[in-house]
Amino acid sequence: MRNAERVVGLMALVSLIFFISGCAKHGVQQVEGPTPPSQEEVITGTPDMELDMPGSEGDVSAAPQAMEEELAKFEQDRIYFEFDKFNLTADARKVLAEKASFLNAHPNLNVRIEGHCDERGTREYNLALGERRAKSAQDYLIFLGINPDRVSIISYGEEKPLELGSGEDAWKLNRRAEFRILGN
Amino acid sequence: MKKILSLMIVLAVVFPSVLGAQRVHIDIEARGFKRMKVAMPAFAGPKELADSVWSQCAKDLEITGAFSLLDPKGYINPGPISFIEPGTLKDWALIGADYAVAARVERQGAQVNLAVQAVEVSTARAVLNTVYTTKADSVHRGVHAFMDALMQKALGLEPIFSSKIVAVQKVGKKKQLYTMWCDGTGGAAIKGGGDLVLNPAWSFDGKKIAFVSYWKNNPDLYILDVRTYKVELFSSHKGINVTPCFDPTGTRIAYTLSKDGDPEIYIAPLGGGTAPERLTRSWATDISPSISPDGRKLAFCSSRAGTPQIYVMDLVTKKVERLTFQGSYNSEPVFSPKGDMIAFIHLAEDRRFHIALIKTDGTRMKVLPGTGRGDESPTFSPDGRLVAFSSSDGNIYVTDFMGTSVVRVTDTGGFTEPCWSPLME
Repeated sequence: MRNAERVVGLMALVSLIFFISGCAKHGVQQVEGPTPPSQEEVITGTPDMELDMPGSEGDVSAAPQAMEEELAKFEQDRIYFEFDKFNLTADARKVLAEKASFLNAHPNLNVRIEGHCDERGTREYNLALGERRAKSAQDYLIFLGINPDRVSIISYGEEKPLELGSGEDAWKLNRRAEFRILGN
Repeated sequence: MKKILSLMIVLAVVFPSVLGAQRVHIDIEARGFKRMKVAMPAFAGPKELADSVWSQCAKDLEITGAFSLLDPKGYINPGPISFIEPGTLKDWALIGADYAVAARVERQGAQVNLAVQAVEVSTARAVLNTVYTTKADSVHRGVHAFMDALMQKALGLEPIFSSKIVAVQKVGKKKQLYTMWCDGTGGAAIKGGGDLVLNPAWSFDGKKIAFVSYWKNNPDLYILDVRTYKVELFSSHKGINVTPCFDPTGTRIAYTLSKDGDPEIYIAPLGGGTAPERLTRSWATDISPSISPDGRKLAFCSSRAGTPQIYVMDLVTKKVERLTFQGSYNSEPVFSPKGDMIAFIHLAEDRRFHIALIKTDGTRMKVLPGTGRGDESPTFSPDGRLVAFSSSDGNIYVTDFMGTSVVRVTDTGGFTEPCWSPLME
């Protein structure tokens, strides 16, 4: 009887440990890289992939993965600005041209451009500056032939720095526009 | 000539005491203005309570910008004492005190009594002899009443301590509204405005706070009723809806929209119904409006000359004049409650952002030392003698116009964008 109790107790302990470690792992995964909801929408919104049967030529998992990588690259490639400026540099125009060709290839995707500033200057003025940076990028995408309805903008001013800390190393990374894919 | 001069000096020295110092005019901009020195020995009463009330009084004395506390280390009798004996006045005079303050703090059931005595040392006049009774959890309100009475009775100054500061508080990655009394006591977070709120602005009756929230994934303007905590969406045009400022007459609100392509300043009636009237027309950024107390002028920041500078628009004729010419970055103008001055942010020669003041005619620009670590978001006290601001350390400070008294109001950090309310009832 005692032994039976012990066994049950042990099993409970083991399962508790599994449960905890499972939780912990789950927690870590979330921290490392939550999938933005917009991306999930895009991927689950292509039902053809899921119904592909064995024996067909294409690799079932390869296509969504490639798409995921492309999307990740699209969102990670940012453009940067000079202090208190919102005009596009040559580098920024090059990045925007890539964005335009991606958007042309995926007409079902929309993009939201976020304008950001470094911590210098006043918060209020930076809300306007962030807006103008996003607008510059938006205008250029439209100039490159993207339908204006597909490109929205939002300014975060200096509220969402990419790099914390003061100094030009952090500031130059924070004066940026970011690109978020929105599902159609 | 010499005789006249010496007579004037005698008059100046004699007259305040002859008049009983009932209403001494203090020109806070005068170069010769010196803060009144106060000796305040430890308060009598239960030690922990008495010491904490003393500390708040010491902080509030400094905040007034009119008094400065003499270091207790130099006192002949450091206390605790509850009464300034007339025979000891010479001791306080000896260390240079203009006023001596003594107090007793005691608990009485759920209440606390703060019995204060303030004496003008040179005349032995009892400026104040009052008992302030408060609930045990709001002793700070007793201190506020004491400080306002001391300023009024000793120097004829208007009260300030029944006013609040609203600010943005950063908690983790979120930002929320936070209100406190102007000395940092009675702080309370206002939660539930979404992940990011900005630009809080108090209405001139203290009943509403306009602010920006990204609640609907766009910087939109909301108005909060301070008593009911009910929030109404005020403006949600495409683009930014930011930097609200109430018209002191209480009927209109000025703010910045980018719906027409670039940030421009608009004004609209508070009740809504009519489309906002566009006030500025330039290719550049126009932002941060502030309406003068008489409702006739609008100060704002514009980059139309290449760098951010302060401009003033006549709201009747719509004529615009540039106010600042010094420096390459001047932003966030705010009218003083008396309308004679504008405070703003100035990138100074030390390459730091400082609070600066300028007369509304564009003369007498003055850069305040502040913390020297980068100051932002100036806001005037209700009587217009002081400016609160946030610094790069995330705390809120109050300074006088001389810049000799810079008092930290908050302790925890994480605060930005303070806005000082009018006096509350």
